[in-house]
Amino acid sequence: MVYLDSAATTLQKPAAVRRAVIRAMKHCASPGRGGHAPAMRAAAAAFACRQAASDLFHVLDPENVIFTLNATHALNLAIKSVVNPGDTVVISGYEHNAVTRPLTALGCQIKVARAPLFQPQLMTEAFDRLITPEVSCVVCTHVSNVFGYILPVADIAELCRKRNVPMILDASQSAGCLPIHMDELGCAFIAMPGHKGLYGPQGTGLLLCGEGRSVRPLIEGGTGSLSARQEMPDFLPDRLEAGTHNVPGIAGLLEGIRYVSLVGEENILLHEQALMEQAAEELSAVPEMMVYTAFEPGTQAGVLSFRVKHMDCEEAGERLGKRGIAVRAGLHCAPYAHETAGTLEWGTIRASFSDFNTPGDVRRLVTEAARLAT
Amino acid sequence: MLYYLIVCRSLTYAQRTQTALERAGITAHILRSPKVIDSEGCSHSVKVSERNLAPALVTLGRAGLSPKRVFIMASDGSYKEVLL
Repeated sequence: MVYLDSAATTLQKPAAVRRAVIRAMKHCASPGRGGHAPAMRAAAAAFACRQAASDLFHVLDPENVIFTLNATHALNLAIKSVVNPGDTVVISGYEHNAVTRPLTALGCQIKVARAPLFQPQLMTEAFDRLITPEVSCVVCTHVSNVFGYILPVADIAELCRKRNVPMILDASQSAGCLPIHMDELGCAFIAMPGHKGLYGPQGTGLLLCGEGRSVRPLIEGGTGSLSARQEMPDFLPDRLEAGTHNVPGIAGLLEGIRYVSLVGEENILLHEQALMEQAAEELSAVPEMMVYTAFEPGTQAGVLSFRVKHMDCEEAGERLGKRGIAVRAGLHCAPYAHETAGTLEWGTIRASFSDFNTPGDVRRLVTEAARLAT
Repeated sequence: MLYYLIVCRSLTYAQRTQTALERAGITAHILRSPKVIDSEGCSHSVKVSERNLAPALVTLGRAGLSPKRVFIMASDGSYKEVLL
């Protein structure tokens, strides 16, 4: 099987991740729930993971690194901390349902900054027009999960800082392959999965909280702190982490973050971009193939959408799967992105790469996709 | 041996406190706070030896980690709060 669905979750993980998960299952209990050795080992793993994440993403204080189930959980925490029902919120035209569904559920007025694919200057201008005084929050993805488009988030964050509007960054596709500086961006929150570019296990995610930002828990319960009180603690991370932690997941995530730190986000990005460019070039040479790729270098990460003309994308994805190529077809839980790019009617087939893919994997993809087109 | 307990608001805060102290060469251990010193229930403390309290407080002050409360364990096993 050639696995090219890393934008959903990375399948190949560093061996150290698997070993850490098993070790934690054998030897770690629950952080903060006892003074015995298994509880303290779990606490040490959790703290090491917070520290590794705060170093990688330049978060001042490891207490502001919150463990979540995934990026969707982290985004819900962030959105529901900042946004009140009925608020006006600006989003990019490339957002995932993990952003738009919570905003819809809150009854928000959603203003969409739309600009064509791979044109960052036009995207910045669209945000510039829409961030008006009544806007209470901006939510923006760093990289489109459908097209790999790298949005100009530094410029958008600067607009938000100047206009004193809190910004939530969805780093689902960028954490692990693009540098993310919490301190420089000045975001209110940054949400990310642990199981994609950070190579942790499924069921892990992180929410990075801005300094002094007030937060609203989604759930209440035991935290191992202030147990005599019936209100949730008012300090992080406890306020947002009720209940028992996913310690094996966190131990695995720690090793995934260490892998990314060791290899370097820049090197991972270069590797994935090289594979994406190879795929784009070779697929473009196949008749009846429509490939969505950037002309300007540096505006697309390791995610590529394409489609076979006159063929349903789900059928194409299904056939590729049967031939040993794992890709994702359809709307990718991102109808806004497809609407903005003009692909809502057909959807696309998405190939997404990780540090563990090779040029040989791309050749297999192109060979099998070409068979579909002929 | 006499020792001090630096009471922290959370386990993570205690871990930050311990890390800062150990980076400064001060031995520090995390333990669950004795019930008698924490009426709010369930907290963690960082234990330092008597001779290390002063440099520990200086180190924590520089790191911006202010202790919630500090207790000394008396020779009879009871705890007395230290006013900072």
